Amino acid sequence: MALLTRTPAHPPELLGLWLLLAAVPVAALPHAWEQPPWVFAVLLAAWLWRVMIHAANTQLPPRWVMVLLVLAGGGLTFAEFGTVFGQQAGTALLLVMVALKLLEIRSQRDIVVSLFLAYFVVVTTYFFNQSILIAAYSLLSAWLITAALIQVHSGRVLPLARLARSSGLMMVHALPIMLILFLVFPRIPGPIWGSPHEDPVGQTGLSDRLEFGDIAQLLENEATALRVRFEGPVPPSSQQYWRALVMSDFDGRGWRVDRGRPEVPADGDGPGDIAYTATLEPTRAHYLPVLDFPVGIPDQGRLLDNLQVLTSRRVDSRLQYSGRARLDAPPAWPLSAEERTRALALPAAAAPRARVQAGLWRAAHGDDDTAIVQEALRLFAGEPFRYTLRPPLLRGDRTDAFLFESRAGYCEHYASTFAVLMRAAGIPARVITGYQGGQWMDAGNYLRLRQADAHAWTEVWLEDRGWVRVDPTAAIAPERIETGLSGWFGEDIDAPAFLRRSGLPWTVQWRLRISDWHDVATFRWESLVLAFDPERQRELFARFGLDATDWRSVLIALAVSLGGLGVLAGLIALLRRPRDRRDPAQRALDRLSRRLRRHGLAREPHETAAAYATRVRDARPELAGPLADFAQAYTHLRYADLDAQEREQFQRQLWRALGEAKG
Amino acid sequence: MRSGKLNLARDHGLRARWGRLREDFVRWVTRRHQTDGRRARVTRDRVYILPTRQGYMLLLILLVMLLGSINYSNNMAFLLTFLIVGIGHNAMWYTHRNLLGLKVTVLPVKPAFAGAPPVLALRLEEPDGRPREALRLAAGGRESPPAFLEPGASVDVAIALEARPRGIYRLPRQRLSTRYPLGLLEAWTWLTLDTEVVVYPVPIPADAMQAAATDGDGEETTVPAARDALPDEIRDYRPGDSPNRIAWKAVARSGRLFVRDSAGGEAAPTWLDWDAVPGADPEYRLSVLCHLVLEANAAGQPFGLRLPGQRLGPDAGPDHLGRCLRALALFGLPGRNPA
Repeated sequence: MALLTRTPAHPPELLGLWLLLAAVPVAALPHAWEQPPWVFAVLLAAWLWRVMIHAANTQLPPRWVMVLLVLAGGGLTFAEFGTVFGQQAGTALLLVMVALKLLEIRSQRDIVVSLFLAYFVVVTTYFFNQSILIAAYSLLSAWLITAALIQVHSGRVLPLARLARSSGLMMVHALPIMLILFLVFPRIPGPIWGSPHEDPVGQTGLSDRLEFGDIAQLLENEATALRVRFEGPVPPSSQQYWRALVMSDFDGRGWRVDRGRPEVPADGDGPGDIAYTATLEPTRAHYLPVLDFPVGIPDQGRLLDNLQVLTSRRVDSRLQYSGRARLDAPPAWPLSAEERTRALALPAAAAPRARVQAGLWRAAHGDDDTAIVQEALRLFAGEPFRYTLRPPLLRGDRTDAFLFESRAGYCEHYASTFAVLMRAAGIPARVITGYQGGQWMDAGNYLRLRQADAHAWTEVWLEDRGWVRVDPTAAIAPERIETGLSGWFGEDIDAPAFLRRSGLPWTVQWRLRISDWHDVATFRWESLVLAFDPERQRELFARFGLDATDWRSVLIALAVSLGGLGVLAGLIALLRRPRDRRDPAQRALDRLSRRLRRHGLAREPHETAAAYATRVRDARPELAGPLADFAQAYTHLRYADLDAQEREQFQRQLWRALGEAKG
Repeated sequence: MRSGKLNLARDHGLRARWGRLREDFVRWVTRRHQTDGRRARVTRDRVYILPTRQGYMLLLILLVMLLGSINYSNNMAFLLTFLIVGIGHNAMWYTHRNLLGLKVTVLPVKPAFAGAPPVLALRLEEPDGRPREALRLAAGGRESPPAFLEPGASVDVAIALEARPRGIYRLPRQRLSTRYPLGLLEAWTWLTLDTEVVVYPVPIPADAMQAAATDGDGEETTVPAARDALPDEIRDYRPGDSPNRIAWKAVARSGRLFVRDSAGGEAAPTWLDWDAVPGADPEYRLSVLCHLVLEANAAGQPFGLRLPGQRLGPDAGPDHLGRCLRALALFGLPGRNPA
């Protein structure tokens, strides 16, 4: 053997550079969707430059160039964001600096620093996206970064498979600690400084204003809006009205949301109440969709007197909340004169022909408001009103144009027109927007409401019953209400693919299936991981009789769980350690010696197996056969160069001889 | 310029003091270790582990990540932060295991001539069936390149020690360390494997001596005439006879050990004599003798070495050569020096 150790073929100080060059773009990739394009251009350029330096074995840029580049990077970031702090600007700056760091890697230390920064890049991904896909992807990034760290410190070029395995094992072994710290590390609600990421992107989904066509437009949007898990029985689909916004002001073209007045929430603890937990996708608005009629209010929101729930902070990230609903008994508050005026208001010029129609109904039915409601619904239910995906464009006064000319519309056409008719007839009315229907996800046991499930309906004030929900859509398209959108549009070839029940190519079917799996995974991820907050932590601690707000409890929990983990790891190590390090043949010889000790024939330490066998044979001639076999097998096993088959054969001979050599 | 020198001097003084402090500390830490002899096993009670600078750097980055996670109540950031905490924590265990259980044997140090670095070589053996990576051996302020071991394998790691004047030295304390896998922590063990390092005098060529020779006292140092072609006398082997002189043919014929006894028939062997070397400096004389010894050995003739108070040979062969060189290395020195 050579006296000097083999020296690595690569300069050891740059071991792992290639892996670093692979890890940085992988770690940074999710930012491509969040950062201005120039940030990525800088990253790509620096990366290419570095690869070329390495490939062509040329010089790194001189120091003054680096200083200029760093200044330029900082300047660009400042020019783009007006700051270099905060989530967006800070992340951009981090990416630029990681890119430039690639250009000045001279030593092992530089590689290590870059890899640490790459971990940081992975963490900043979560400021923008916390989906399960990103979670899986960032595991890949962390795996690569860890592999690069291992390569840097192993002092030689390791095979990729070994690196992959070592890195993967390190991550797997770290999972228990991660889990314990995640559950036990004290959580503090709210930000300490600054405010969470505020994205200038506009509102998605329902908006504060409702015009004809607004909800029909959402029909194409298959994105999930809300996921709901029920704690008890699931109410029938036709009873599930998720109210988000209440519109009381009509200006002739559309409806505007009524901010309402805060009201003491009705005490709701009835036996038939429906308890649910909903997860709302970011709306960048303040409303929380709640199941009609809300009796238990989510902690994050406050109930207004028109039964809307609004949050104080805009919903910019996924939000989970719990609520309770009573399906049939709307809480009745008296209608104030002011509210009555508001709920009857119609612009003077609006819908002249509809007003005439309402006047006729009023004249026919006198004081019977219910009969007027029935008249209007009967009107919609009969021909030639159609419920359609593609309502025609309307001219002139929209209400009249719809009611007397096109007679084809979507839920907002019916809801708005119905409300106008009611107001014209002197019945207080308002339009509600929210979600209705949805898809029951068996795999996750939850209800998935898409943006497409957006719906508009109305409420009218009846003197003896208070606000009563009337859904004109149910009159014209009952299937829409009872079985959801696909119930009505399932056979319509114009409908978006996710609503159709047949006639889809298999590629689209698979896309939809994958989309469903993704939604289920997202839901579980959400409820298992992302929803863990100080409140959940308190509940978890309480289950073990501990108080999460008391630092002593936290310390106890940490000590017990980490200590338990240590004991477990120790036990596993103990169990996996080979119990006997001796050679198997040596073990057999020791056993033989122990067995013969009773007869005063223990092996002397200096005796070889052959010499021992000879001595025993002289004393116990009857054992001559097995002893000879034993000595032969032992000698071969210990000293001969055997192939696997021979080894096995001698091992068998050894143990057989041992068995036969019974004293 | 002047102040620079001054600084340097002070720096040097501080460094020396720091070095002594460090040495005392290490001695205090390892006081319970026994001297290892020629073989040692890296056991649990002698593995030390501390974070490296990189380890502290990652700790700082993790702290920033944690603050970010708390501030934005970002559960995924918490998860990744804690995952890296877990990885960093386990690295402690990994690094420790990378060193634990290794068997270390010191290989005999080949003697070196003064001015050339003696090479310390240790054999590392892997008995536990797991691969070991990036093991570094350091001794006497020198460090080896990283070594690695496949399960059950062994590898020799060498360090060129500092060149020293002639003499016999004890090995400096060895430090076997590793930072594998992540470089966040360093595990190390101190070994006091014991063997001696003999440093021979620098050989100085004979012509230099002749040039320096002033008195004509060269009678005994003259190179002897060519050997007579007389047949060797064969006699029985006596303990102490050089193995070079065993008459193998006779041994093969008879099964008894015979040696060729040529002393009687040969010309007088060369005597390399201390007194015959001119010059007042004993180190110089030793160097010249060293060169002569090497030359005589290369010529394959028996020779003897006469030093004040010592007589070696006449004899031939590597053992005799070793004895002579050793005598030259140790001449006038009290004993082993700590290296």
